[in-house]
Amino acid sequence: MSHKWGLVVDLDRCTGCEACVVACHSENNIPTAGEDQAARGRTIQWIRVERTWEGDFPNPKVRFQPVLCQQCDAAPCEPVCPTYASYHTEEGLNGQVYNRCIGTRFCANACPYTVRSFNFFNPKWEKPLNLQLNPDVSVRSVGIMEKCTFCVQRIKSAEIQAKAERRELKDGEFTTACAQSCASKALVFGDLNDPNSEVARMANSDRATKLLGDLGTKPNVTYLERGNWQDGTNS
Amino acid sequence: MKVVYALFADPESAQHAVDALHSASADLKFSEQKIVIVSGEPHEGYDFADSHLTNLPYVWAVLGAAAGGLCGYLLTTLSQKSYPIFTGGMPITPPWTNGIIIYELTMLGAIVTTLITLLRGARLPNFKGLIKDPEIWLGKILVGVADPPDAARAQLETCLLRAGGAQVRETSTTH
Amino acid sequence: MERTAEQIEQDLLRPIFTTSSRYMIAVTLASCMVLAGVCALGYQLWEGIGVWGINSPVFWAFDITNFVFWIGISHAGTLISAILRLCNAAWRRPVTRCAEAITVFSILIGAAVPLFHVGRPWLDFWMIPYPSERGIWPNFRSPLAWDFFAISTYFTGSVTFLYLPTIPDFAAVRDNAKGLRKKIYGLLALGWQGTPRQWQRLEIAMHIMAIAIVPVAVSVHTIVSWDFSMTLVPMWHSTIFGPYFVIGAIFSGIAALILTMALLRKFLHLEEYLRPLHFNNLGKLLLTTSLLWFYFTFAERLTTWYGNSPSEMDVFWSSIRQNFAPIFWTMVVCNFVIPVPILSVKKFRTITGTAIASSTIIIGMWLERFLIIVPALDHKYLRFAWGTYRPTWVEDTLMASSFGMMALLYLLFSKAVPMISIWELKVGLQPHGGGVITTAPTKRKPRGLVLEGPLPTDVPE
Repeated sequence: MSHKWGLVVDLDRCTGCEACVVACHSENNIPTAGEDQAARGRTIQWIRVERTWEGDFPNPKVRFQPVLCQQCDAAPCEPVCPTYASYHTEEGLNGQVYNRCIGTRFCANACPYTVRSFNFFNPKWEKPLNLQLNPDVSVRSVGIMEKCTFCVQRIKSAEIQAKAERRELKDGEFTTACAQSCASKALVFGDLNDPNSEVARMANSDRATKLLGDLGTKPNVTYLERGNWQDGTNS
Repeated sequence: MKVVYALFADPESAQHAVDALHSASADLKFSEQKIVIVSGEPHEGYDFADSHLTNLPYVWAVLGAAAGGLCGYLLTTLSQKSYPIFTGGMPITPPWTNGIIIYELTMLGAIVTTLITLLRGARLPNFKGLIKDPEIWLGKILVGVADPPDAARAQLETCLLRAGGAQVRETSTTH
Repeated sequence: MERTAEQIEQDLLRPIFTTSSRYMIAVTLASCMVLAGVCALGYQLWEGIGVWGINSPVFWAFDITNFVFWIGISHAGTLISAILRLCNAAWRRPVTRCAEAITVFSILIGAAVPLFHVGRPWLDFWMIPYPSERGIWPNFRSPLAWDFFAISTYFTGSVTFLYLPTIPDFAAVRDNAKGLRKKIYGLLALGWQGTPRQWQRLEIAMHIMAIAIVPVAVSVHTIVSWDFSMTLVPMWHSTIFGPYFVIGAIFSGIAALILTMALLRKFLHLEEYLRPLHFNNLGKLLLTTSLLWFYFTFAERLTTWYGNSPSEMDVFWSSIRQNFAPIFWTMVVCNFVIPVPILSVKKFRTITGTAIASSTIIIGMWLERFLIIVPALDHKYLRFAWGTYRPTWVEDTLMASSFGMMALLYLLFSKAVPMISIWELKVGLQPHGGGVITTAPTKRKPRGLVLEGPLPTDVPE
C-alpha cells in the first residue's frame, strides 16, 4: 500500500519555542539571511511560527501557529510552474525539483499560505557553520525556489532501509526534523494511509481543522485546536 | 531582358496603353504575357491592375491555420500523454489549457502561411530582371513589352506614344 | 494641401538620407540610458535577483509591471493597422507604420523582461519544447507557457505585419540610393518590382494579416492577464482581468501612439502628413478607451467592496486608503480626471492637448499595472506573511532604460525606414481613395478603345 505523508500540528500544545524552525534550518541546509536581508523580507523559513496575541502583559492571550508547506492535494503552486519543478509525488508530497527551477516565482505567488521561499542570492555560510551542512540535502543556488519537503531525504532513506530489510515501514520509525525536535510533541508526522498510525488517528480528531480549508487546496497538514480564537484570518 | 516602355501619368492612359498593346500583340508578334506593367502604388478598379485577383491566398491561410492547429494538438496532447507525470489529480491532458496553445499555433500557422503565399505569389525574392526607373516612384505607371521582336519596334513605339506616353525608353535589366 | 507624389517621396525619404545633429543627440541620450540598463542588468545577473527590492511575499513587482506595461503598449499597432484597415478608415494611412513599429519594439522589450526576471535566466530555454534526454518539458498548464506561445505568435505576426507593407518602400529607397545603401535596401526589398500581380498579392496578404492579428492581440493580453487571475490571490482571482487588460492595453497603446506621432511630427517635419485630423480621431478613440477603462475599474472595485470578503477587502483598502492610496489616486487622476475633459472638448482635442493627455495616461497606466500586482501580493491570506515593497536603484534603472531602449530602437528605425507608408499614402490620394482589396472588383473603369477620342497632341521628342 502506498504511503500518504501527513503532519498534524496540535495548536493546544505549541509553546512557540521555534525549536522546529531551528531544526529545520539545520537539517535542510537553509541559509540565514542576515539582519539587513531579513529586514527586507528575504528570510528563508520552511516553517515559521505565526504569533498573534490579544491583550497586554501580564495576561496576554497568545496563539502560536507553525505554518509550513501544507503539501496540498490540489496544490495551486503545481499547475503554474512552467518547467514542472513543482510537481506532485505519488506519495502525496508536493515535490520541488531544484534542478528544474528557473525561478519565475509564480508558485510563490500562487501559494495562498506564502510558504515558499526564494534564493535571492547565493547562500553563504560563514566558517565554521559550513561544516554543519547536512550531506543528505542539496544546497540550493541563487534563483531557485525552495520549501518544506517533509524531510523527503529522511522519508527516502527510511524507505530504502525498509526495502533492503524486506519489511514495511513502521509508524514512528523516522520523523521529520521539526517533529523530532518539538519539546511539547505538538508536531506529529506519519503515514495518513496507515490507519494505525498516530498521525491518522489525530487527523480524525474532533479538534481537527485545515488552514484556509475553504480555498479547496486540500492540505495534508491538519491543525488541532480546541476553542474558537478569532484573529481575523480565514482559518 | 530588354524592355521597351513608356511612362504614363495616370491610370486611365495606362489602361489605354495596355489595351492598345493587347490589340497589337497579334500583329506585332509578341506574346501577351510579355506585356510589362510597373507602378509605385496599386491602382484598384482598373483592369490592368485587377487581372490577378484570386481567392487562393485565403484558402491557403485557412489550410495553414488547420495545419498549425494540428501541430498544436500534437505538441500538447501527444507529448503530455507520452510522459504521464503523476499530477496528483490535475488532468494529464486538460483540453482548455491545451486549447489555448492550440489556438496560438493555429494563428501562427495562418500567419506563416500567408507570408509564404505572398512570397511565392509575388515571386519574391527575385533579384534578376528588375526594371529600375526612378519616375515610377513619382507616380508614373510604366507600360511596355519585354523583348519585343526587332521588326515590330517602330510600330510598338507609335502605339505607346499614341496611347499617351510621353517618351519611349528602353532598359536592359541584367542586374 | 494636396501633395504631389514627388513631394511625398522627398518628404518621407528625407530622414533616411539626411541626419540632423538633433538626431545624433537623441540617439546618444537614448544609448546612454540603454547602457545604464545593461550595466544594471549585468550587476543583477552577477549578484542575483536580490539586488532588486522584491521579497517574500512580493515576488513580482517592477519586473512584471514593466512586462505587462510594454506588452500593453504593443496593442497600438494592432488596433490602428489591423482594425482600422478592416474598417477601411482612410485616415489611418499615415499612421499605420508608426503604430506597427511601436508594436514590434514594445513586444521586444516586453518579451525581454520575463526572460531576465527569472532567477536563473540562462535556463530560459527550458520553456521551449525540445526533446531532451533529461526529460525536461514545459508544463502547458502554466500561464507562463501560454505566454511563451502567445507572445511568440504575436511577435511573428507583428513583424510580418510591419515588414510586408514596408517592402515597396524599401524598393523606393533602393531605387533612390547608391552604393552600400542600395545593396542593403535591395536585399530588404526582396527584389520588389511593382507589377500588378505583386500589388494584388501584397494587398491580399495584408488583408489576411489584418484579420489574423486582431484575435491574436486580444488573446495575448488576455493570456498575460491570466498570469494573475489563474491564481487564488485575493483581488487577482477575478474574471474581469481578461477584458480589463485588453482595454487597458489598447488604451495605453493609443496614448503611446499619439505621443510618438506628436514627436515624429515635430522632429521629422511631417506636419503635412500627421494632421490635426489624425490626432482628433485618435483622441476620440483615446476618450472611448479611457471611459471603458474607468468602467472596468469601477465595476471591479464596486463588486469587491460590495462583496466584503475579508481577504479581498484587505487588498482593497490598502489601495484606496492605506499605503498605496497616493499611487492609486494619482493613477485615477492620470487616467481619467485629466484626459477626459481634454479629450471630450473639441477645442482641447488638438495635437498638444492629446499629447498631454497621452503623457499622463502612459504614467497612469504604468501605475495601474503596479497597483494590480503589488498590493495584492502584499496582502495575501495569512496576515503574518504580509510584507512591503520598495524598489531599488537597479529596478529604477531597468525601468528607465526600457524607455530608453524603446526610444533608441524607434530612432534607429526612423532613420532606416520611411515612417509613413509612402505607397499607402499615395493610394489614399487616388481619386477613388483606394480601398481594401475585395475578391471581386467592384469598380470597373470602362476599357478604353485604342483609338477613341483625339490623339494626344503633346508627344515630345
